Amino acid sequence: MSSDVRFTDFKSDKQPTWCPGCGDFGTMNGMMKALANTGNDPDNTFVVAGIGCSGKIGTYMHSYALHGVHGRALPVGTGVKMARPDIEVMVAGGDGDGYSIGAGHFVHAVRRNVDMTYCVMDNRIYGLTKGQASPTSRSDFETSTTPEGPKQPPVNPLALALASGASFIAQTFSSDAMRHAEIVQKAVEHDGFGFVNVFSPCVTFNDVDTYDYFRDSLVDLQEEEDHDPTDYEAAKEVILDSDKEYQGVMYQNENSVPYHEQHGVTEDMSEIPDGAPEDAMDLVREFY
Amino acid sequence: MAEDLNWAVGGEAGDGIDSTGKIFAQALARAGRHVFTSKDFASRIRGGYTAYKIRTSVNKVQSVVDRLDILVALTQRTIDENLDELHEGSAIIYDGERSWDAEIPDEMTAVDVPLKSLAEEAGGAIMRNIVALGAACEITGFDVEYLDEALEKRFGGKGSKIVENNKEAARAGQEYVQENYDLDHLGYNIDTTDNDYVLLNGNEAIGMGALAAGCRFYAGYPITPATSIMEYLTERIEDYGGHVVQAEDELSAVNMSLGAARAGARSMTATSGAGIDLMTETFGLVATSETPLVIADVQRSGPSTGMPTKQEQGDLNMALYGGHGEVPRFVVAPTSITECFWKTVEAFNLAEKYQTPVFLVSDLAMSVTEQTFPPEAFDMDEVEIDRGKLVEDDEVDEWLDAQGHFRAHAVTEDGVSPRAIPGTTDAAHMSTGLEHDELGRRTEEEDERVHQVDKRNRKVETAQNEEDWDYREFGDPDADNLIISWGSNEGALIEALDYLEEDGIDVRVISVPYIFPRPNLTEEIEAAADTIVVECNATGQFADVIEHDVLTRVKRINKYTGVRFKADELADDITDKLTEEVPA
Repeated sequence: MSSDVRFTDFKSDKQPTWCPGCGDFGTMNGMMKALANTGNDPDNTFVVAGIGCSGKIGTYMHSYALHGVHGRALPVGTGVKMARPDIEVMVAGGDGDGYSIGAGHFVHAVRRNVDMTYCVMDNRIYGLTKGQASPTSRSDFETSTTPEGPKQPPVNPLALALASGASFIAQTFSSDAMRHAEIVQKAVEHDGFGFVNVFSPCVTFNDVDTYDYFRDSLVDLQEEEDHDPTDYEAAKEVILDSDKEYQGVMYQNENSVPYHEQHGVTEDMSEIPDGAPEDAMDLVREFY
Repeated sequence: MAEDLNWAVGGEAGDGIDSTGKIFAQALARAGRHVFTSKDFASRIRGGYTAYKIRTSVNKVQSVVDRLDILVALTQRTIDENLDELHEGSAIIYDGERSWDAEIPDEMTAVDVPLKSLAEEAGGAIMRNIVALGAACEITGFDVEYLDEALEKRFGGKGSKIVENNKEAARAGQEYVQENYDLDHLGYNIDTTDNDYVLLNGNEAIGMGALAAGCRFYAGYPITPATSIMEYLTERIEDYGGHVVQAEDELSAVNMSLGAARAGARSMTATSGAGIDLMTETFGLVATSETPLVIADVQRSGPSTGMPTKQEQGDLNMALYGGHGEVPRFVVAPTSITECFWKTVEAFNLAEKYQTPVFLVSDLAMSVTEQTFPPEAFDMDEVEIDRGKLVEDDEVDEWLDAQGHFRAHAVTEDGVSPRAIPGTTDAAHMSTGLEHDELGRRTEEEDERVHQVDKRNRKVETAQNEEDWDYREFGDPDADNLIISWGSNEGALIEALDYLEEDGIDVRVISVPYIFPRPNLTEEIEAAADTIVVECNATGQFADVIEHDVLTRVKRINKYTGVRFKADELADDITDKLTEEVPA
């Protein structure tokens, strides 16, 4: 870890193939800033991504990284963190990746309270497969696979996290660069699972949840309202409020103890002896 | 060969059948006798027939036979289920005071012991099985003091009172038989020796091998018959700084293990066929991201949910070919409980040396069978660790491109690239299941694709040349009749040799622990007049690959009843098969 790390050190020299204007640019920049601001460097950082536009992030960032299979980024991140509590783990996903195929893993990573940061680039549509409904699409959102809208309510990822026992829940808007980076930094600094749902507009396929829409509708919990994230009841209220969309830290449990600490995992598991451990014959003798 | 004694306890699941059997098995092992156990169980928690069987001898025993000498029957069904194996000399211990009217065949020795009342007198009805064990000792002339040692091991943690009560219960059973029957040990001679044996099953050996090999992370989802690997590791891995996660499903389990492996830990997951199905997508990712990972498949009867508590070796094709696209991998299949240990150690070395998924394929029969071994069979000093091309900070420079990027997927002559774990200075890189260049970045460029595919496949070629893909051999090396087997059938085959020899039939047995890569058996098969491949599946999956390798038809013995091969039965099958025409 070095003190003179700049956020651009986390940038690879590969040009992103995201559409011009994609919200994912801002989302990624905020993640890189948060990592640099918290004193991490590419050598001690592991970024995991799933499939979809969000999954490309590992290529555009510079760090240790794995681009995995659809919906399974969180388990990979869990494995990395357990083996190496000394490594900073950042997981990126999309709304399809995280709340559809990976919804089960989301619930369990949240409840385990694994010490990592999970940024979901929520554009409320499937972009890479060219515009189908996602789990967060509005019920009347017309797409090629839902010509009359999905006719089912969208998943509320914040409520799902809260119900699963989350210790940190936040929402940001990728275009509000400063706030987004600031909130992701809080998630990184949080001891436990730092969940950030990022509104990351798709300029190509989603003409409803646009930059203008979020700019006009978003209410900042900390800057405009007097929201105390340590107040669970207050958090519940804003998370379940279907009339407004918020950005900010909704909930943070200050007594959060991350999974690896609860289980007493402190050692670097990559270190193993050259042959069997010294006292390994005890493993045999117990079968006497 | 009647030197051996075949003993069983049976009743309903939940009757403590398993622990009763285990206590007796441990007592026999403590007495320096060889033990081989097997279990019949159903896929339910309570109710349903379940039995624990023990074969014991002063000589090595490594299979089950079609004969049962002493049966502790807690239910009528226990007698009915075992009628085929009971014989005129068999003794059946039962509790005549219980509500069922035991139907004991006339020619057998009925030993009616008031198990429940005697147990209650000793301190609690729960000990009725221990009363039965005392009775069994008396019937066979086995010194009840060996039972004391096993009871101390089993109940020592629960306090001396419990231990004493159990000892008393055993004595009550012993004395009851002494006073009420004149059996003269039914002619059994339970010799003891001074040998110290350990008693363990295949899954315990896999778990022990994993710890010895430096496995520090395990993620799994409970599934019969693989779960006991997870249970074994859960109790012990933390002593070595490791951790077990019970994942939410198999998809998560394999991906967690993959994450830990990429972070540098020796990592493993285990499951059974249905779980392997769920993990299959990730195998391709493990292979293309070149992550060292050990994946154990403890096979059971399929397809679908099949017979979850029954034996089969039906997943071989899946281990060999499972997954979309072409996935380089190794498939290693231990042939005995000691091999479960050693092949697990080897699997970790292969995984790290070649940065590939390694399938460790075992089966239900091996996973639940306990067997005695001298402790030296698991000599930890023999364990060697090979972490392959793991680069240190000062070696990173050699692998950087002109722009200073780490070539994590460098195309090398042997196909193996350098491996840097997180924290290694200046070696940060990404890996992906997408086709990629040497830096791990996505590419669809034709030449790059071919280079990377060839590079990954070349690892298998390198390993084929550098490693010993040997086989184990038994019987007469010059015999005209060749038997080929894989997995847990080995023990039954070795014992079948004795039966065949009595009939004047010489055979050569080759037991193959490597499915891919595997030894080339062309010469051996060409030298034989008859070749028979023995396996527990219906279609002969191993026979198929052997035929493919050698371009010769072989004979097949396939058992897919859900029960493992028995030595005497297998000898009969082989005799019959030898007279059959070779298929055209």
